[in-house]
Amino acid sequence: MNLFHFSLQAQFSRHCFLKTRACLCFALTLCLWVVAVEVRANDHYEIVTNPGVNEKTLSVNSLRSIFSMRLKTWSDGTKIRVFVLSDEDQLHQIVSKEKLNVFPYQLRSTWDRLVFSGTGQAPIKVNSSEEMLARIATTPGAIGYLWRANINENVNVLEIK
Amino acid sequence: MKMLTCSRLSSYFSSSVRWLGKGVAVLWVIGAASVQAQQLDQPQKQSESAQAPVKWVQAKDLPAEATEAGNTKEKPGVVSTVLNWWHSTDRPGDLQIHGFVSQAYITTSDNDVFGNSDKGGSFGLTEAGLNASLRPLPRLQLSAQVLSRRAGEGNSGMPRLDYAIFDYRLYSQEVNQFGIRVGRLKNPFGFYNETRDVAFTRPSIMLPQSIYFDRTRNLGLSSDSVQLYGDTAVSDWGTLSTQFGVTLPVVNNRDTESSLLGLVRPGELNREISYIGRGIFETNDKRLRLGISGIWLNTSYDPKKLHSPLELGPGSLEFTPVIFSAQYNSERWTLTSEYAIRPFSYDRNFKSTKLNGQHFVGESYYFQGEYRFTPKWEGFLRYDALFIDRSDRDGSDWIAKDPAGRSGLGHSRFAKDIAVGIRWNVTPAFMLRAEYHHVNGTGWLSGLDNPIDLKTGRPIDTHQYWDLFAIQASYRF
Repeated sequence: MNLFHFSLQAQFSRHCFLKTRACLCFALTLCLWVVAVEVRANDHYEIVTNPGVNEKTLSVNSLRSIFSMRLKTWSDGTKIRVFVLSDEDQLHQIVSKEKLNVFPYQLRSTWDRLVFSGTGQAPIKVNSSEEMLARIATTPGAIGYLWRANINENVNVLEIK
Repeated sequence: MKMLTCSRLSSYFSSSVRWLGKGVAVLWVIGAASVQAQQLDQPQKQSESAQAPVKWVQAKDLPAEATEAGNTKEKPGVVSTVLNWWHSTDRPGDLQIHGFVSQAYITTSDNDVFGNSDKGGSFGLTEAGLNASLRPLPRLQLSAQVLSRRAGEGNSGMPRLDYAIFDYRLYSQEVNQFGIRVGRLKNPFGFYNETRDVAFTRPSIMLPQSIYFDRTRNLGLSSDSVQLYGDTAVSDWGTLSTQFGVTLPVVNNRDTESSLLGLVRPGELNREISYIGRGIFETNDKRLRLGISGIWLNTSYDPKKLHSPLELGPGSLEFTPVIFSAQYNSERWTLTSEYAIRPFSYDRNFKSTKLNGQHFVGESYYFQGEYRFTPKWEGFLRYDALFIDRSDRDGSDWIAKDPAGRSGLGHSRFAKDIAVGIRWNVTPAFMLRAEYHHVNGTGWLSGLDNPIDLKTGRPIDTHQYWDLFAIQASYRF
């Protein structure tokens, strides 16, 4: 009786184990897939400018200086106009962390310090990628970021070194 | 027996498997949800890219309408629609308008902070500001802010010009900038002084009072000055931002007089040439920020009633604080500490034994940790200490000079404040928070809110150990 019970139990636990293994495999595949999608998504954005901007490449430090609202003019002396999505936007967060290497809250506090001490201005906030595209294409000296899927010939892609 | 063990083992095993199963299920749900989100994202992106040329024509022809379409998708209220329109519409000269309104409720066990807070609490702290900035030329920025602050006896809420700045960029080359500012400028000292009235930029409702005295805030806040500033790249590590200004301090207010001279006097404090400077080094990732600020403040007293025995003589005083600041930022933590050494020296022309030839060095410091539980919820913990005279930390020497008049008032020479608080960012524009302080000492209490008895020269009603609880709501745009 006991033996029978044991074998049943053993069978059951083997069944469970197999099921778990299958589940685990499935979960692992899912995770890998998610990671792959993430990675693919992450290099799917670019820093873009208005076509009138002469710069074709920019150093990371200059880019950070621009998004920190410290560097205010392009090398030809024209105004730089910075466009950003909201602090919670996924693309904004990715660009902050990966391209600029700062957390979104740090950019926000940098901009707040400038605006409320009168020593600078805040970037211009747009509500969507379409708006970002439209504003960058039509605003002289504009700089911002876009998913690659949203980029068209009306904006320039900036190479960041 | 063996079998029993086996069976137990196997049941143990199966229960752990069940747990594992549950874990996997949760993982799967999360994974599936995120995949679904990704999948939802993808077609949307594709459709966006597919529709892009069509949208582009619309956007080009009617940029304003495209903006509206973007707004309606989020279904915002009337106010935010108007604000979005306001922020997203091109105006000549890159005009920007920003502002804030904050209201706090403060209650204390004893002593008054911003109104009669120890008798059931008060809504005595209201802050509001409105600023505009303009860039008529690429290198020129004009900006001004009007500020209203209602806080106890010291600030009535009467709007005043907080800053009005003419800022010209003299040199700009990639990461190196150099420029000049003229006008009424915010005094650059410490991490928080320039934006101390904006609740969103403060770590707490009450800034660490040991360094950011609210009772001499008008003196510390802004001054008419000429300032040179620069940002310089330091190798590949970070940026050094420096400011140096020659200023005329704003001393013509009651709170400052009461703090520097012990009482509001019939005469006036004169504005004399003073100097201010600050350097902040910030690493490229903004994780580490180190600063040093210094002020050399000069003022003198201009007596009105020369023959009155209570009136002071035309003495002058010098206040030369130096502040060291350090901050570390990680994704969840922000650790901040500032240390200030504050030498005061009064000359011998005040005709007052209490002030003549007085020289003492004050000391202040705080340690503060902020933690972001989520982007919406933050908490902070801080220890803040102030000593009016660092060679006499408990005030005993000060009492010994006038035992009859000062006995039991040693606590007015220091303050040690432990504070804890929580902040809820309801939306990016609206914030609520609450905090609790336990304070030992009355060193930073305002003399206007907690007056002294003119006959005895003693505060009428102050207590050494006290608690403060405050809540605040703040909106900005």
